[in-house]
Amino acid sequence: MPLDASDFPVQEHALQNGLQIRLLPDRSLPIATLYSFFRVGSRNERPGITGISHLFEHMMFNGSRKFGPKEFDRRLEAAGGTSNAYTSTDVTAYYEDFAAEALPLVLDLESDRMASLLIDDDSLQREREVVKEERRFRTDNDIDGMMDEALGALAFVAHPYRWPVVGWMSDLNRIAREDCERYFRTYYAPNNCTVVLVGDVDPKTAVGQIEKLYGKIPRGEALPPVADGEPPQKGERRAVIRYPAQAPALLAGFRTVDGRDPDSLVLDLVEAALGYGEGARLKRALVYEQELCVDAHIYFGWRVDPALFEVSLKLNPGTDPHRAENALWAELERICADSISEAELQRAKNFVRSGLLRGLQTSNGRAHTLGQMEVMLGTWRAFLDLPDRYQAITVEDIRRVARKTFAPHRRNLVTLIPGELPDGGAA
Amino acid sequence: VSLRDVALPPLRIADEPNGLVLIAIQRRSVPLFHCRLSVPAGASEDPRGKAGLAQFTAELLRRGTHRRDARGVDELIESMGTHLGADVSMDEAALTLTVPADLARQALDALLEVALEPAFAEVEVAAARRRALAGLQSDLDEPSTVAARAVLMQGYGPAHPYGHPTHGLKRGVETFVREDALGFHATRFRARGAVLAVVGDAAPDDLLQLARERLARFSFPSDARGAALDFRELPSHAPLRALVLHKPDSTQAQVRIVAQGIPRRSPLYFDALVMNTALGGGFTSLLVDAIRVDRGLSYSVGTRLVMNRNAGLALFSSFTRNETLRELVDVALEKMRAYAKSGPSNDALAKVRTYLAGLFPLGLETHEALAEHISDALLDGVGLEHLAKYRSRIMAVTARGAQKAAAELSPAREGATLVVVGDGEAGRKALADLCPVDVRPIEEVA
Repeated sequence: MPLDASDFPVQEHALQNGLQIRLLPDRSLPIATLYSFFRVGSRNERPGITGISHLFEHMMFNGSRKFGPKEFDRRLEAAGGTSNAYTSTDVTAYYEDFAAEALPLVLDLESDRMASLLIDDDSLQREREVVKEERRFRTDNDIDGMMDEALGALAFVAHPYRWPVVGWMSDLNRIAREDCERYFRTYYAPNNCTVVLVGDVDPKTAVGQIEKLYGKIPRGEALPPVADGEPPQKGERRAVIRYPAQAPALLAGFRTVDGRDPDSLVLDLVEAALGYGEGARLKRALVYEQELCVDAHIYFGWRVDPALFEVSLKLNPGTDPHRAENALWAELERICADSISEAELQRAKNFVRSGLLRGLQTSNGRAHTLGQMEVMLGTWRAFLDLPDRYQAITVEDIRRVARKTFAPHRRNLVTLIPGELPDGGAA
Repeated sequence: VSLRDVALPPLRIADEPNGLVLIAIQRRSVPLFHCRLSVPAGASEDPRGKAGLAQFTAELLRRGTHRRDARGVDELIESMGTHLGADVSMDEAALTLTVPADLARQALDALLEVALEPAFAEVEVAAARRRALAGLQSDLDEPSTVAARAVLMQGYGPAHPYGHPTHGLKRGVETFVREDALGFHATRFRARGAVLAVVGDAAPDDLLQLARERLARFSFPSDARGAALDFRELPSHAPLRALVLHKPDSTQAQVRIVAQGIPRRSPLYFDALVMNTALGGGFTSLLVDAIRVDRGLSYSVGTRLVMNRNAGLALFSSFTRNETLRELVDVALEKMRAYAKSGPSNDALAKVRTYLAGLFPLGLETHEALAEHISDALLDGVGLEHLAKYRSRIMAVTARGAQKAAAELSPAREGATLVVVGDGEAGRKALADLCPVDVRPIEEVA
């Protein structure tokens, strides 16, 4: 059953400078959410300035012409709002959740930093240190983070998905103010942005305010091409990390399709069948029946370019990684040979359907969903018929896509072995 | 910005003859149904020497009932496209399910079956014990998890009912047998003191009727509580001391400073919330400015008041590279000690009041949040007024009230403990002339 379009009276507008506006009024609570999606992420970077997209996300909170340093969040919080942002491989998104009365201020804050961000050496230096600390937290001292970084570098040879969103430490030290200024001019122009406003707002007034505040910001030039010439993978690849850990771990990645490919929906269901819930087949087999792992986690997310289907196994202390690896391959081979049962397929569809509904519970969730659909699939309307598209998927589709995805020559495997390197890992 | 109190959605609360409290809440938004059963089976109820038993018991609920085995339970729940939430806090165990609205009846039946009819099969108990022990060891790879465990043990002290992690300690978990789980379930999963909340797009009376109809299919005995717990025992007010938990190869140190706090029903609640937010909540707090924005010492810094039903903690949290550990601790202590005397500035006070009041409705958006907030308001003894008048009570906090709370609840006051998870030698060197330092292997909190 599709989602009912009448439940989503989204208004669409575009300014002459290319800014896209999506508006969804909802009067149920006196709050609203504004998202600004910029079509830029680590895939738009190049070696030498890896991590600039994420570092730049931090710089966006350091002042603009009208609102000086520290003013963005100070003004927003004083008006009953909060903000945050994230950077992915493909997109950088900023949001504010706020008391509905604060809308004029929120639009003023957002439009001012798009029009006239201040970038100075002092704030860049401070933010660089903060980001390096974030990198130490999420990657250098975190097993999942260090394995994920190793998997990207293993699975991709030429594509920017090869480096982590947070960037290499050496590049973080190198990024200069001029790099940031060039980056801002290129990627933070209105024609590279979609704003999504959801909540207790009057659409006509809000559109008027947006036109007034954003309308004079000049359109930017065409975006540089992305270095996306990844060659086909012609054989299994492996990497080993030695680190003082309590137990071994495995992270497998399989190169697959981009988010606009219809097979990405099939992979969503494969992800659910293998990994959602305690009874998912991979978790049941490896955690409960064979007792090889503390946890088995599957991740597949839509990306602009073909990315990875990932399986992460946190092994029980003392477990032989080869044994766990063989058990994982056996489970994946089983789905390639026999697909999944009709009951498992329906279970997976139910999980995905519930997930779609849960994501629409909050104004932030609705705004994020609309924006993500715009960025990934070209229109927010794409999510209306998602339930029908998932429902049409068959066990034969699962088998076909599993065979294509989990072929042995597509494997990339990172193994974490507990223990210290003889030299402590010094460079 | 005008910040009127927020009207709660239509709801009914009913006291059932067996002592169970039923809450029915009407929420018109997406077509979902949510049910939440809270029972007084939190980690504070863990028997002596059996830390982690509440968590262990809750996890076993889904591993088979009198009607079906573990695989059957998984199929029962997950065929609806949902996960069973089984969250054990210090004060309660909460079982939750959220499903598409047309599956409301099945969801309630499934929730009540796992909560009230668990089998605790011998083979499942043994397997769960092995998983729990592996999980405890695996947790040692997460520095922030290690820090969280140490904070509870140091903050409350070993004799306090809250003074151990919810997942327990290895030495206790190793001893768990079927009779432990059976006994815990028989005495704690009782109707008196429990709350069943249901949320959906139907009239509250209809939701109540649905809940009663499904409850009638199960036996939910009234009461079997033992002696009341003693929450008074807390560590003495000694000078600052440091515990460094050594994790080899760390290039970054997790830092916590913990002192006694207040329970949620404390009359200081709103003053304390405003005070704490100005000190270390939000992006523009005093400590975020001093540590992240001005000095770039950390990516994350904050203070939090952990408010359980009968006691609480005041907690500072951050992390930094080994080389700047001492600088971060010095700045944090200096700022928090000064703040304990001054409280928030008038500007900060005005900003924080509007911030908290403005964002309050965000916490009531989802079915899950509504059920949790309303159940907790009843169980914590603060009543629905706490939610209905939240905005006006926040806006009424005065500079004097916030300053008093700052003085009483500073994480840096006498009796505080500094917990560091990272390189042991680096920690010892950095802190040696600040306070007594005890360096221990991280395995001591497993």
